[in-house]
Amino acid sequence: MNTIAILLAMVPVVFFISLLFEGIDRKIHARMQKRIGPPIIQPFYDFIKLFNKERIVPVTASSGIFTATPIIAAAAAILGASIPLASLTAETSVVGDLILILYLLAMSSVMVMVGGSSSGNPYGAIGFSRKMTMLIAYEMPMLISIVSVSLNCFSLAYYDIVSTQIRTKSLLAFTRPSMAVAAITFLLCIPATADVVPFDISEAKTEIIHGPLVEYGGPYLALVKLAKAASNFALTFLAMGLFFHLPALLGGYASVGLGAICLCLVTTLILLLLTITVPRTIFARLKIGQAFKFYWLIPLASSIMAVVLSILEL
Amino acid sequence: MVDKMDYTPLRIPLGPVHPALKEPISFRVTVRKEEIVDVDVQLGHVHRGIESLAESRNLIQTLYLVERICGICSHSHTTCFTQALEEIGGIKPSWRALYLRTLIFELERMHSHLFLLGIMAYEIGFDTLFMFTWHARENVLDLFEEITGNRIHHSMNTIGGVRWDLSLHMVEKINDSLKEMEKSIKYIEEVFQDKTVEERLCGVGVLGYNEARELCVVGPTARGSGVSMDIRRDYPYAAYSELKESFSVVLRNSADACARTEVRIFELFESINIIRTILDKLPNGAISTGISVLKLMSKIPEGETVSIVEAPRGELLYFVKTNGKEGLLRLKVRTPTIPNVLGLKPMLIGCEIADIPVTAASIDPCMACANRITVINQDKGEARVINWENLRRRGKKQ
Amino acid sequence: MKLGNMLRDALRALFRKPVTVQYITKAGEMVPVPERYRGKIVYDKEACIGCLLCIRTCPSGAITATEEKKVAFNISRCIFCGQCAEICPKEAIKLGSDFEMITHEKEELFVQ
Repeated sequence: MNTIAILLAMVPVVFFISLLFEGIDRKIHARMQKRIGPPIIQPFYDFIKLFNKERIVPVTASSGIFTATPIIAAAAAILGASIPLASLTAETSVVGDLILILYLLAMSSVMVMVGGSSSGNPYGAIGFSRKMTMLIAYEMPMLISIVSVSLNCFSLAYYDIVSTQIRTKSLLAFTRPSMAVAAITFLLCIPATADVVPFDISEAKTEIIHGPLVEYGGPYLALVKLAKAASNFALTFLAMGLFFHLPALLGGYASVGLGAICLCLVTTLILLLLTITVPRTIFARLKIGQAFKFYWLIPLASSIMAVVLSILEL
Repeated sequence: MVDKMDYTPLRIPLGPVHPALKEPISFRVTVRKEEIVDVDVQLGHVHRGIESLAESRNLIQTLYLVERICGICSHSHTTCFTQALEEIGGIKPSWRALYLRTLIFELERMHSHLFLLGIMAYEIGFDTLFMFTWHARENVLDLFEEITGNRIHHSMNTIGGVRWDLSLHMVEKINDSLKEMEKSIKYIEEVFQDKTVEERLCGVGVLGYNEARELCVVGPTARGSGVSMDIRRDYPYAAYSELKESFSVVLRNSADACARTEVRIFELFESINIIRTILDKLPNGAISTGISVLKLMSKIPEGETVSIVEAPRGELLYFVKTNGKEGLLRLKVRTPTIPNVLGLKPMLIGCEIADIPVTAASIDPCMACANRITVINQDKGEARVINWENLRRRGKKQ
Repeated sequence: MKLGNMLRDALRALFRKPVTVQYITKAGEMVPVPERYRGKIVYDKEACIGCLLCIRTCPSGAITATEEKKVAFNISRCIFCGQCAEICPKEAIKLGSDFEMITHEKEELFVQ
């Protein structure tokens, strides 16, 4: 009972932090392009402004799916982010393990696409088909790297992997070669999951006018944007907890309590900047064929290598 | 074979308002599983009736009207028009005026090419390069503001000469800006050879040499396909007859979007050479005839002529017919975008949807220029109306 | 791979001053205007002799004659070409450097 209360208490915290991180990402992205950029709390202003706009549902859309999917996507993403955060605060395994978290995150992005394609716009349909292709490309390496992590730690629960790091006072990514390879694979899959250049093919602004998001406006758009921000935060927080749990290195007072949470958030921010903001700034967008080829070559090979190495106990 | 039967073609409107297009143009693209099968191009969204407005104004008012056909190639339009008037009226501008006209012409060419390179970067999703390129473009706009007083519609030309002169201080400023811009353009050239950019640009939107000649495409679009045509070399105007050694015509043979971008990047370097030569060789003298414009207008007799210049996008042609009473009987403008847009159909067939904005941007469409005449072909006009109706009916049924 | 170039320049730009200025949101931030800038019309009524030559050359019909044989300029129609300033024999018209011409009062759009 106690854990459920902590989980629900984390929901507003996740809401606040994920929008804040999105603001920091936009500010750093702008500064790297030599311009001033919006203030850091701009996503909050956007959220409030969008809720004041009119609710428009296109005539050709199936209105049930169109209006329900943003809510499901936002709820799934926020839950997916609160579970790891609640686990760390409560210092025990809260409801569900890694499979549940990954399922919630996948559901969030798929729900957005389904909603977009149900709008009756040809651009939505194209975006949906592109996203399905990308899903096949990046989900496999990500899942296989998670499998190799769980083979290593003999558990699928999030908090068990974190406590392994705390016990051995080391970051999981630097203990064994198999874990290093798994970490690199997971980090490589994050830009595609977060729909960020060079892999934002399903939501290309100049080609298919934001793909599935083209008919969304007003409160629905606010929820979709919240779902994206929460999902980005959840992914990087997961990566931090699984591979780079920094409080484990320091031990003692810094490994538990409020200090540890703050250190975790700082590490998450750095990971977010490295895997989402920097690629967004320095790369151009790839075509669907090229992205698919990339993901089936390098990350898939490295994830299989990680599994093989962890079976061989390396 | 099975492929073609299984997938039904999807008709996508790449409508007048689209983030990929700078200016309104309508494509109706028929797509089969991400491969383009047919393209239908429709112009006419920014038709402003300029040719008919020109018939009710006197010559000096038409000069400013013609300048506002386009924002980026405004100086080309005024140069072409004043050249035509000076030919009809027998007025010869001084050499200093011609050199200054050429200077602003080349600066405008640099501005237009930098503008387009930023747009190409934006189309492939590379926002940072777009910001960097437009930062370099600000140097040129600052120069324009110093010399002529405005960033785009410069109004530098007048009948018989130019309106503003260069001081020594401005010459120094131009030289400093050129050095900075050379560094930026070298950097931009390197980034455009980056692997992710190359994968998006190479092999996309190919227009073969024979097709290019058949469709009469002009400007960098033609030079990217190996067709060697440049009005500055073939029929020199303004001061180009004396500047032949300071520039060379840039040609490429691969005929894809990458080739056209490269042609524009190297033309930037050529323009820098021309500007440096102009600043060295600038002759002394008056910049205009000194006679008031109203008196000059009354001296222009009845007559007609054709005048051609090399605008940043290609060959720009004016047919001017005056009526001897300070007015115009007919003004006809054929801008370079009109033949280039017709080249879009052979370029796009066989490409993917992701290539449409890249190809459309690589021909540098200036729709504001192109909506001069009613371009909708007479024989196809009927078919287009029917198609649109069909589309609407189909949309309503669903 | 020119990847390194872009990364290095993006990081360098991160630690330098941005090139954009906060024009209206921060008071006083402005880039100075050059002296030849063609802004709002400055009209010297004393020097005007009422020859009405400027009306004949204005491309957009922004100049109208008033009863006292002087002229009035309609700024909302002006295209700031500077032809009236060039042709005035007494140099009574000049194009100043004011470009912030948005107003709620329609009277401010007329210079007499």
